[in-house]
Amino acid sequence: MIQKTVIVRLERCVGCMQCMIRCAEAHSQSKTLAEAIREPILAKPRIHLGVGPEGRPFPNKCRHCEPAPCQDACMPWAIRDDIAPGLKVVDPTRCIGCGMCAMACPYYVIRFYRDAGAPERPSVAIKCDGCHERVAAGGIPACVTACKTGALAFEEVNLYLKEGTNRLAQAAYGVHS
Amino acid sequence: MRYVVVGLHAAGRSACTWLRKVDKTAEIIGIDPSPQPVYSRPLISYVLSGELAARDMLVAGDGFWKEQGVTALEDRALALDPGRGRLDLASGRSLTYDRLLLACGARPRPVSLTGPMAGQVCFFRGRRDLERILGRVRPGGSAAVLGGGLVGFKLTMGFLKRGLSVTLIVTSPRPLSLNVDSHVGNWVGERLKNTPGVTLLTSTSVRSVEAGTGAPLRLDLDSGQSLEVDIVAAGKGVVPETGWLADSGLECDYGIVADAALRTTDERVYVAGDLAQAPDLIHGDTRVNAIWPVAVEQGRVAALNMAGIKTAYAGSMAMNAIPVFGSKMISVGVVNPALTRGCDEVTVEGRGAGYLKLVFRDQRLIGAVGLDAPPRLGELAFAIRRGLCRRDIPSWWLDNPKQAAPLAAPGGCLARNARLA
Repeated sequence: MIQKTVIVRLERCVGCMQCMIRCAEAHSQSKTLAEAIREPILAKPRIHLGVGPEGRPFPNKCRHCEPAPCQDACMPWAIRDDIAPGLKVVDPTRCIGCGMCAMACPYYVIRFYRDAGAPERPSVAIKCDGCHERVAAGGIPACVTACKTGALAFEEVNLYLKEGTNRLAQAAYGVHS
Repeated sequence: MRYVVVGLHAAGRSACTWLRKVDKTAEIIGIDPSPQPVYSRPLISYVLSGELAARDMLVAGDGFWKEQGVTALEDRALALDPGRGRLDLASGRSLTYDRLLLACGARPRPVSLTGPMAGQVCFFRGRRDLERILGRVRPGGSAAVLGGGLVGFKLTMGFLKRGLSVTLIVTSPRPLSLNVDSHVGNWVGERLKNTPGVTLLTSTSVRSVEAGTGAPLRLDLDSGQSLEVDIVAAGKGVVPETGWLADSGLECDYGIVADAALRTTDERVYVAGDLAQAPDLIHGDTRVNAIWPVAVEQGRVAALNMAGIKTAYAGSMAMNAIPVFGSKMISVGVVNPALTRGCDEVTVEGRGAGYLKLVFRDQRLIGAVGLDAPPRLGELAFAIRRGLCRRDIPSWWLDNPKQAAPLAAPGGCLARNARLA
């Protein structure tokens, strides 16, 4: 089965930031917003709304690169590809907060916060984990669930690319498959 | 098919893992004087500072090599005959190979000083150096650190955290002179000078190390001053371990010279890590860039090429990030003022930018240095790789470095000036 991944259709993003809130909520202890905001270690979003070209909103998240520059840079081997297939996941118990991964990331998607996964550390690397636990339980990533405009979708990338080809064919020749 | 990998640290480990990934049945033999414990050397500075316990340096258990399907020999390579495809080991054994990877790294550069106690100078490369240093460290003691680079810096901060007073002796006019620009270097120098327990001596070197009277060691400096300390540690860079390869016939300069596939002048022999003098992305020649992520990447690229999967190596570049006095210092590419004469510089001053300076040569981005800047170093490294031109830095990025979308965002600048070839 081809793995699904989060597809971003930029033109649909309106910058509402619901993805950020639901991402943080999904990584909290209680998993509900009203309680999450009162937890002693506040969960943080792993997706970041940036300001992009022409001031348009840009939802920025980890691409789970292969090979991943963050993983190359991680000296304690805290960034693992053996936690969930196809994903690069930070193990907070191994992270020493050195920051090399954030420095290596070409997409500026890693931040540093205190995390409930390693409460004794002042800060550890926080980045998208593909919501692998939700997906393994039959769900979809929290950011996708939150997105009302369809800017974020959970799809097979090849089907998404085929959609692009079809749109081009339709626009150019008025044909569709 | 037999692959032999000499050296099992950052580059060698990466290579073994990738060789096994792409070739499930080949024989992989690794050679290292200590294949176990499987640990990451750079973590020694965290153990010195007390942030990590010694066991936290381990990245894998003793079963690691077996799990990878690698035969790890506790041995040392003595001589190489590429014509015969034969590697001679210290144990007396010889190995033949189909493909060989040289990843035996570099050793600390010796300090040029004299004196009967010169042998007491400690280095800071691996766990044995760490053990030697920890054996001499005591709260309330005194230390001298030689070298104002990143290792010297880590040694200084580590000794401070352990309750020692530290004299940092730097031959340049300011610390971190090779790694950052003058603004950040001077900032670090000022903070060091104002840190209790630290004495910073610049433009100074040590002539000799003698036995002390009040303390175990006495350093005689070229300034005429003398200094008594419990421990002396040096971080003066590293020298690739090419000595044993002098008669091998492989092209050897500062390191072992490699092409864009990380192959040496012998088609069956590859090189990766601190030993490799490989294409440098910015300078356009071959250089040794002895940093961890470069070693890991080179290990992978060399392994793929050894296994017949053509993988081009774009080239290495220098990259560093260290916490300094509660701030974060970052640098990528060429920022050393001695090398950037005639270059244009752009200081980014958006809200929350901290200090972030971009360096351009002939319109192309070649380096960046920052202090408390958003951690966009990798993005800038990516931009350097893609040949970002000055005129194409988007204003939405310069005006808002904390919140801006990545430079690689569609509609951003990188699409327009991708380097062709």
